[in-house]
Amino acid sequence: MASATLTVERSVARAPSRAVSKAFDGAHRFLVPVLILVVWQALDSFGWINARLMPSPIRVAEAFWQLLVTGQLLGNLWISLVRVAVGLGIGVFLGIAFGLFAGLSRFGENTVDSTLQMVRTLPHLALIPLFILWFGIGETPKIALIALGSVFPVYLNLFAGIRAVDRKVIEAATTLDLTRAEIIWNVILPGALPSFLVGLRYAVGIAWLTLVVAEQVNANSGIGYLVMNARDFLETDVIFVGLIIYAILGLTTDQMVRAIERRALAWRPTFTDAQQPNRRAA
Amino acid sequence: MMTALQSHTPVLDEPRVTRGEAAVSIRGLTRSFGGPNILDDLDLELEAGSFTALLGRSGSGKSTLLRTLAGLDTAPAGTVSVPDRRAVVFQEPRLLPWKKVWRNVSLGLRRGDARARASAALSELGLSHRLDAWPLTLSGGEAQRVALARALVREPKLMLLDEPFAALDALTRLRMQALVGKLWQMHDLTVLLVTHDVDEALLLADRAVVLIDGRIGADVAIPLDRPRHHGDPEFIRLRQQLLGTLGIDENGLDGGG
Ligand SMILES: Nc1ncnc2c1ncn2[C@@H]1O[C@H](COP(=O)(O)OP(=O)(O)O)[C@@H](O)[C@H]1O
Ligand SMILES: [Mg+2]
Repeated sequence: MASATLTVERSVARAPSRAVSKAFDGAHRFLVPVLILVVWQALDSFGWINARLMPSPIRVAEAFWQLLVTGQLLGNLWISLVRVAVGLGIGVFLGIAFGLFAGLSRFGENTVDSTLQMVRTLPHLALIPLFILWFGIGETPKIALIALGSVFPVYLNLFAGIRAVDRKVIEAATTLDLTRAEIIWNVILPGALPSFLVGLRYAVGIAWLTLVVAEQVNANSGIGYLVMNARDFLETDVIFVGLIIYAILGLTTDQMVRAIERRALAWRPTFTDAQQPNRRAA
Repeated sequence: MMTALQSHTPVLDEPRVTRGEAAVSIRGLTRSFGGPNILDDLDLELEAGSFTALLGRSGSGKSTLLRTLAGLDTAPAGTVSVPDRRAVVFQEPRLLPWKKVWRNVSLGLRRGDARARASAALSELGLSHRLDAWPLTLSGGEAQRVALARALVREPKLMLLDEPFAALDALTRLRMQALVGKLWQMHDLTVLLVTHDVDEALLLADRAVVLIDGRIGADVAIPLDRPRHHGDPEFIRLRQQLLGTLGIDENGLDGGG
């Protein structure tokens, strides 16, 4: 009896403290970044670090504001976004097309798989010089490079996803008198979707990485151009703005794919963020 | 000898099949996977409306035979005649995890009232509250009942069950056995139940056939009244007889050889 009372008291006492500790956890996560900003600002204000090489957070914020009001930021941001969207669109489209072709038929696999596996081993960024010679310095080489980088993760993961669909489930669907098209649509494609989405997240990451490199090697517009231009004039604050923009863009698009995952894979009762893929370099 | 799977022409809304008519007829079925024949010139007829248990040691070819009847095995030699409307339940539920329960059940139904029919089938199996659940949230017994509903909703003439209770816990298995017995009595069904459990065969079936060396090596009628009881002397006698055909004595030890 005494021990029962004790248990009740403890659980009552624990309830509010749990809420408090959760709020504390939330604040805790921001503690270190905020501290870094404060120390960084202080170092700059006291003149302990070279403000030319390492602008203070306030300077960076000012530069951000300047770029925003002069319209340079949004203009170049838009150009970069379009490059990624078009390149990624083409890459994902081709990745899906090849993935379906090779995944759904032995004929397709024999036709494209070995070729794609060979091309895949080539680091696509190494093609920049060639692409510049072939396509000049306009939009084409950048978009082509982004497309090339993003096609493989989509292809590989979709192909593997299709082939990994449980044969037993396909067999069960066959006994329900489904046509081949119905089995592909109801069984194989949904079964391959989780793997495809993993590939899509890789592709998005690679697309941004490719954009950064492509715009810094040759461009007269875009965020990468803004950054390289700033380097020529020693505007480190603008370089920082560019870095922050990249970080925000990468994070936003990754969250978008994860939102798609949460919706499309709602059938997984234990779908959690712990199942993120490990990031892989291009 | 290489006649492909033949089917009765489907007759919709035909009157209740009179017993005595063959629902399944197998002649000279032979199947090998490169080695010795797993099924070796096998003959078997199943009466319409009958409940037959197919027994046999592990690896004796029970699933191979059932897959042939289900149309899943594409290269059998021999003649197999089965009804067009067949349904299969496997040892695993084999549901599509990305479709809600009722969509799993209604998958492949061609008529418009799919949800209503799925709902009716699920209600019959006591699952009306799980219509919109995701399969991965179901218990093992619930998932297997969904698989049964998915089979039943097609109004099959022939129900093929491949050890459907083997993966369930003992209590759930008893409930599922009773349920299948009830479904067989309420619907116009021919049932072939693959099992390695002699008691299960004796509880449910009115005939037990034993697959030995690729053929039907024993064919035992089970003329017991229902509901059946393990303690019934006739039940005990039939158990010993069937265990004997499987080459096992009542202590579970290998008999001959
Ligand atoms: N697809 C297959 N390929 C090769 N061997 C198979 C295949 N299916 C079944 N077998 C073999 O056929 C034999 C009978 O299998 P099965 O019908 O599953 O037995 P049971 O269901 O009676 O346990 C086993 O030896 C098994 O290894
Ligand atoms: Mg088997």
